[in-house]
Amino acid sequence: MPKFLHTADWQMGRAFTRFETEDGAALVEARFEAVETLAKLANEHHCDAVLVAGDVFDAQTVSDRTIRRVFNATKAFAGPWVMLPGNHDAALAESVWTRAQRLGAVPENVHLALQPGVINLEPERLSILCAPLTQRHTYGDLTEPFSGYETPEGFTRIGLAHGSIQGLLPDEIDSTNPIAPKRAEASRLDYLALGDWHGTKQIDERTWYSGTPEPERFRNNEAGNALIVDVSEPGATPSVTRLPTGRYQWHQFRETLAVQSDLEQLLERLNDLPESAVVDLRLEGSVTLAGEEALLKALSVAEARFRSLRCERSGLQLAPTEEDIAALKADGYVGEVVESLHDRQEGAQDDTARDALAILAGLLREREQEAGQ
Amino acid sequence: MKLQRMRIEQLRQFRKSFVLDNLQSGLNLIHGPNESGKSTLVRAIRAAFFERYRSTAVDDLRPWGDSAAAPTIELDFEHDNCIWRLTKSFLQRKRCDLVVGTESYSEDDAEEKLAELLGYQYPKRGASKAEHWGIPGLLWVEQGTGQDIEQAIEHAGDHLKSALNSMVGEVASSGGDDLIETVRSQRDTLLTGTGKPRGDYLKLEKDRTQYQLEIEELKERVHKYQEQVDRLGKLARDYEQAEAERPWEDAQRHLEEARARYQKVERLEQEQNQEKATFAQQQQNHRLLQQNKEHLEGLSRQLESRKAVLDRAEHDLDLAQAQTPAVTGRLTEARTAYEHAEKQRKLAGLLQTRQRLEQDLRRLEQQQQVISQNLTKAREYQQQLEQARQQARENRIESELVKKLRATGSQLNEETIRSQTIATRLNWQLDADALLSLNNEPLVGQGEQQLLEESTLVIPGVGTLGITPGGEELASTRRKLKALEENLAEQLMTLGVESLKQAEDRLSAFESAERAVKHAEDLFKTVAPAGIEQLVYEQSEAESELEKARKQLESTPKPDSNETVPTLEEAEAAFNQSGAALDKAESDERAHQSRLSALKQARDNAKTEWQRLADEEKSPERQQQLRQITTDLANLEKQQAELEASLERREREIREARPEFLKQDIERYQNAVNQLRQTQENRGRELRDIKVRLEAWGAEGLEEQLNEKEAELDQCSRRYEELHRRAQALDLLLNLLTEKRQALTRRLQAPLQKHLNHYLSVLFPEASLEVDEQLRPGTFSRGSELGQITELSFGAREQMGLISRLAYADLLREAGRPTLVILDDTLVHSDSERLEDMKRILFDAASRHQILLLTCHPEKWQDLGVPPVDIEASKGQGILE
Repeated sequence: MPKFLHTADWQMGRAFTRFETEDGAALVEARFEAVETLAKLANEHHCDAVLVAGDVFDAQTVSDRTIRRVFNATKAFAGPWVMLPGNHDAALAESVWTRAQRLGAVPENVHLALQPGVINLEPERLSILCAPLTQRHTYGDLTEPFSGYETPEGFTRIGLAHGSIQGLLPDEIDSTNPIAPKRAEASRLDYLALGDWHGTKQIDERTWYSGTPEPERFRNNEAGNALIVDVSEPGATPSVTRLPTGRYQWHQFRETLAVQSDLEQLLERLNDLPESAVVDLRLEGSVTLAGEEALLKALSVAEARFRSLRCERSGLQLAPTEEDIAALKADGYVGEVVESLHDRQEGAQDDTARDALAILAGLLREREQEAGQ
Repeated sequence: MKLQRMRIEQLRQFRKSFVLDNLQSGLNLIHGPNESGKSTLVRAIRAAFFERYRSTAVDDLRPWGDSAAAPTIELDFEHDNCIWRLTKSFLQRKRCDLVVGTESYSEDDAEEKLAELLGYQYPKRGASKAEHWGIPGLLWVEQGTGQDIEQAIEHAGDHLKSALNSMVGEVASSGGDDLIETVRSQRDTLLTGTGKPRGDYLKLEKDRTQYQLEIEELKERVHKYQEQVDRLGKLARDYEQAEAERPWEDAQRHLEEARARYQKVERLEQEQNQEKATFAQQQQNHRLLQQNKEHLEGLSRQLESRKAVLDRAEHDLDLAQAQTPAVTGRLTEARTAYEHAEKQRKLAGLLQTRQRLEQDLRRLEQQQQVISQNLTKAREYQQQLEQARQQARENRIESELVKKLRATGSQLNEETIRSQTIATRLNWQLDADALLSLNNEPLVGQGEQQLLEESTLVIPGVGTLGITPGGEELASTRRKLKALEENLAEQLMTLGVESLKQAEDRLSAFESAERAVKHAEDLFKTVAPAGIEQLVYEQSEAESELEKARKQLESTPKPDSNETVPTLEEAEAAFNQSGAALDKAESDERAHQSRLSALKQARDNAKTEWQRLADEEKSPERQQQLRQITTDLANLEKQQAELEASLERREREIREARPEFLKQDIERYQNAVNQLRQTQENRGRELRDIKVRLEAWGAEGLEEQLNEKEAELDQCSRRYEELHRRAQALDLLLNLLTEKRQALTRRLQAPLQKHLNHYLSVLFPEASLEVDEQLRPGTFSRGSELGQITELSFGAREQMGLISRLAYADLLREAGRPTLVILDDTLVHSDSERLEDMKRILFDAASRHQILLLTCHPEKWQDLGVPPVDIEASKGQGILE
């Protein structure tokens, strides 16, 4: 009655752009923690093995330290790990795997599936049919030979592959590393553990993408899970349990502000997000000067609260109202400048005019505050 | 705004209350001498408005030495149909009260109200300075600053604009200029004057480029790494395949086969070479036999030619022998001619010798003769000399003494003559038979005697006559005469002569003898300069030489006088010629002899040769040899034909085996083996190299580095982008603000210009003064003159300053703002004509503004048409009050 943990796409060694240095470092750190979490879960759920379906490493040439840390993170689970090279860490003549071996970083219980074939885990009575990528890109189905692989009698047949199930994922029709949709059935597999798709996704009752254990982009919102797969006996339908493993939740809001209540709603939504959120805001439409002030204040609060907050406001126009201008005491020719900037911003979608207007409003506000004191 | 009354107390020299009352709405002329408190009044007005009542920096207001004073100013003025009363006290009693109509303000509120009304600021702390004065700074002209209009306008700045707001329709902005400055300073931290990035912005731009470079480099290295990985994969596959197939072994086998085939051909080639050598030997042998045969057959031909040679030799010899007599004859002739010439030459030589000797002899004889003659003459001259010397010796007399004697004689003569003149003369003529004696001396015949002494004349028969000469001198004359006679006698004796004549004679003889000596000596010297002995010696020498010459001549044979003897030169030439001729004849003869013997030798050789051949030709061995050779030749030719056929066969065999291709095959297979092995070795080496390299590169974690770098670039770019946008925005904002502000200024320019022109036309009818964008009077033009106001003379600048201020006052008045003009001792640098114009201007301005004109020269302003206020007089009133 074998039971194992299915994970994939750790992408270790990835650095995060579009973040502040500190936030990027925390996100990297979270990925190591995710691996530790996996090991812990495997123990908690009494798993017989952990199968990693490709892209353990984000690149071939990651630092020695990263290699060592990845294997160190697996320590908590002493049972067998089977790691499959994916498109990011293909088993080339020289690869991150050969380096790991040279470094002596690979523990005894970690099996590297560097050759296509079957890894039989005797005590666990598991046959892992491996389709590692040995080239950066493959245009043929590497799981094709699975049908021909013989496995010992009574062993559970588990396929381990990295690629795109053909015809299911519209975005990746022409993608490399294709896998036939009916592979599990065709090759008499009890379960086909797949990697490459970063969100958790079921293909059929025996075929799953586990997704990455820690999200690393704003798309694929089903990311941040691991799968516990329980196969009661060879041939039986596996029972698959989804376990959350991610630390941070990535949220991307694209909002168009038109009226005051739009802004209020947005601020409410932000307010509702947990502190472990990584937030990307893209705002369009227009906002009054008072509205912008409120927005800036809210963003400042949110920045401190969330792991990371980025807000793209270049598409958001400033629409100063009469009250705004009166409040700023932008009289005389300064008032004319405010007006002129406003017109330019609207007429030609001029970012510079928008920024200039924001700066001017800021300066005037400051002056008002000083005068107020 | 009209100031109506002012009162001050405990302020500088005004310790008591001082009131200036009844101020007019137009022009007010306030005068007083220096120190009278004129400036204090101005200071009081300024303090009342500008200084904070609670300021501690107004010590200058305190009367000297009065620490308990509370300087107080009270001002009443009307503005906007309201009466304003300001009371301000400083230092000991800090207070400010303002009553406007029915409303009261106090302390700070009162001060703010005033500042707002007039348009100025208070200092944050300390005394009020020019930059705080705003509009009053422009209209209240301090002593000696009338020309400094620019500063004042700058300080009035925003106050002016906001004051003028109503005129230009609310376009000026409160604090707009500060805003511009803030925007400018923020912009300038990011951009240079010309809009280039600077500071952080510039650094980010550079950093970004740097990151991009680094990323490119990393990408390049990753790319290289991947290439190497691919290469490693391919190499590993190739290496394994080659190890399995071992293609170099095939090549090795082919190589060995080719080598075996080639060795076979080599053997054939060796045989061929040997046979070729044999063939060559046979050919050589054949050639020799042929030569022998030809030699033997050629003997008779040779004999004939030898015979011809012999004949020719003999013929040549005969010809040469025939020439012999002629040659010998020529030789004999030459020899005879030579001997003759030799004889002739000897004769000529002899003759020449004799001639020379004879000549010598003649010369010597002549010489000897001359010497003898000289000797004879010398002896003769010597004798003459001796005689002359004798003569001289005999007649030696001192010429000086003779001279003296002569003088004495002549003296004596003179005396005698004189005595005769004085002497008594006795003449006589006696008859022949008369016998008379004078002084016992007979007198006969006729005669005369002079008598100097007493004389006795005896006449026989008659007796004796005594005669005594008369005259007194006679005695002295006689004494002198006697003395002279004695002297003469003495000298004569000395000279050893009897008379003067004798002395003269002797002197003459002596002198002639001296001359003779000299003459004889000269003559002697001409013939015997070295003396007679030398001459005698010379004579004997000449004689012996002569003797010798004679002997020589005698010993020389005398030529035959019959023979014609040529000159020696001719003889020599003939001799040389005949010698050369003889030499040639002799050498000809020798050449002829040697040729003869050579010809004889040739003839003998030819003969011997001919003989030898003739003998050989006839020998039987030769016939035998000839036959043998012919047989040998025939055998040899047959063998050669066989050998040639064999050679040709083998040649074909070799050619068909294609040895050059075999050789190339060997090389090719050898290369292939080497190359295949080498390739595999290289693969092995490259595999190891790449592995090592990849291990090293892999350890650097290139892609992770790249990822990190990209993250850094991204961050840098974002920050850059932010700053870029900010810079653009600030730039735009600054441009817009400046633009709008300029537009505003331009709108204010026109009315100001109008007022300015109004005043300027009074001062300079043809001139114009342009107002610049800062609303400052700028370019001044008058006729063809054009320049900045700052370039004018001090007096003109002051006038321009004043009319500008008045123009501003007009502008402010139109905007409904208070305009009080205070001029403290102004226009002191203007000439009277200009001052006159300025008075017209002031009078005109005073119809719109209240003007306080303070001066210490009231006489200059007396034609202003207003009653002057005398401070001194007012002081008195003050005291009275």
